[in-house]
Amino acid sequence: MKGRQVDRERSGALFVAPHMIMLALFMIVPTAYALWSSLYATKLVGGTSFVGLANYGTVLTSGDFWTGVVRVLVFGAVQVPVTLALAFLFAALFDAGVVGGSRFYRTVYFVPFAVPGVVASIMWSFLLLPGFGPYAQLLKVIGFGDVDFFSSNLILPTIFLIVVWEWTGYNMTILYTSLRSIPKEVTEAAIVDGASLWSVILRVKLPMVMPSIVMLVFINSVGALQLFTEPSILAAFQPQAISFGFTPSMFVYNTAVGSGEYELGAAAAIILAVLIGLVSYVGFALSRRKGDDA
Amino acid sequence: MNTGAKASRAQMRAADESGVPARLYGLRRPTRILVNGLAAAFALFILAPLVWLVINSTKSQASLYNSFGFWFSGSFQLWQNLAALGQDVSGAGVFTQWFGNTLLYAIVGGAGATALSALAGYGFSRYRFAGSQALFMVVMSTLMIPLTAVALPLFLVYSKVGLVNSVWGMILPSMVSPIGIYLMRTYISASVPREVMEAARMDGASEFGIFTRIAVPLSVPGLVTVFLLTLVAIWNNYFLPLMIFSKSKFYPLTVGLSALSRAAETGSKADVVPVLITGGLVTILPLIVLFVLLQRYFRGGLLQGSTTG
Repeated sequence: MKGRQVDRERSGALFVAPHMIMLALFMIVPTAYALWSSLYATKLVGGTSFVGLANYGTVLTSGDFWTGVVRVLVFGAVQVPVTLALAFLFAALFDAGVVGGSRFYRTVYFVPFAVPGVVASIMWSFLLLPGFGPYAQLLKVIGFGDVDFFSSNLILPTIFLIVVWEWTGYNMTILYTSLRSIPKEVTEAAIVDGASLWSVILRVKLPMVMPSIVMLVFINSVGALQLFTEPSILAAFQPQAISFGFTPSMFVYNTAVGSGEYELGAAAAIILAVLIGLVSYVGFALSRRKGDDA
Repeated sequence: MNTGAKASRAQMRAADESGVPARLYGLRRPTRILVNGLAAAFALFILAPLVWLVINSTKSQASLYNSFGFWFSGSFQLWQNLAALGQDVSGAGVFTQWFGNTLLYAIVGGAGATALSALAGYGFSRYRFAGSQALFMVVMSTLMIPLTAVALPLFLVYSKVGLVNSVWGMILPSMVSPIGIYLMRTYISASVPREVMEAARMDGASEFGIFTRIAVPLSVPGLVTVFLLTLVAIWNNYFLPLMIFSKSKFYPLTVGLSALSRAAETGSKADVVPVLITGGLVTILPLIVLFVLLQRYFRGGLLQGSTTG
């Protein structure tokens, strides 16, 4: 009997082993190697030498890197609430059954989930291109003149538009599913008490799906901080609109692959990962604190 | 919170059929018109770029630039544009090759991720062994590691071991899916009864035999969900392949199309833009069809809070 127990323990470990080996080889080892190589620098003359934390100093004192960090923070501070507000509004309306054909709408809204960020950015670039893009043309016809969506003032709002297009449906789908799991007796009781549609949505249902919203804030914020695909594709259309370190991820890519300074890029990637970890930790702690107060 | 994927799906279905009747809210007509109008407007916002893509895949380069984007113009060029996908029009590479690569990466990577997730999910849900809980915490903490932070380290290791410009360099890391393990563990906990496993043991079945003959058949919907989610994540992945591939014959669709869009803008050769647009259409069609047909599997996975993009 005892031998059997040990056997069973061993088979449990064997079931998880393939994944753990892959995890070690393709996540843990590379991360450790990146940490190690971030302490070195390669010079054209002289080869690779140990430089300690100098690479971290270079990144942390780079104005370009910090401009990118501030840019994605500002971007996330606008994009995440707007995306979630839209997603919650539509999820709540569909859940309440006050919109006809909601099954069709739910399918349509989710379709961008199947569209790679690269293709979404290409489509929107063509739609918004100054002069040629039909949206730019329509705006001109209505009397807004020549709007340049790729100008330095509008490039971030343009990316915002693309990201809202891509991710609202995904968030809506998750919120819709959580809203559906609220027992209908709760809603009925609120209606009997004379609550309107809006107060049912905001006072009854919103608090009940708060855990899903907190999770989505977290997921969307991490996504926003890593912003890369959309600006890098827009850069193909209007190179002058997107700088070297437009976002921290672009800074990492352009430093490592563009300039061939791999060790510096590794240091930047690690700083970015730590920043993202910090932001999520603070967010998590704040949501916990709020939860305790309530 | 969740008693498991099966239970939550049943709940969802029940809820779908029995919401609170909308008339109880006693909405006034203007409000009804407003909310319906909002939903329709947002649908238009979502669909317009896709409609634009379909319309413009039928145009030649010249009529693309000389006509209004939301209507057809010039001769019907769709077949010529599709044929051009098989050629290297820009010097950036051949679209059909990228398509084949993406299929390979997504199917092999997705199948591998599903197999590894099923094994590990089963191990974590049905066995207790030394360090099992600690290992599960390790797996869950890798959920928090941002993808962009791993791509460069992978590239650095690859350049040491010769996996740069290798098919395996793309496929193998795609098989690591912490969310897949989480989903499979939840699913198996809810749908594979311990009593059935115990009965099979009495009949002398091996532990692996119980997994293949009992756990796998009982978990098919969960497996489909994990396969679809990892497939989509690999299909749409851009940062990792951009890092590790420098030869266009290895590019997946995402990296190929971005190379094509740069070629289109530098405008060295003619007729790149129709290939870019038609290529974009061909890139998204398989996933949209897959998604519309298998919606409920996607939703089942999303509910658990998946984020593989």
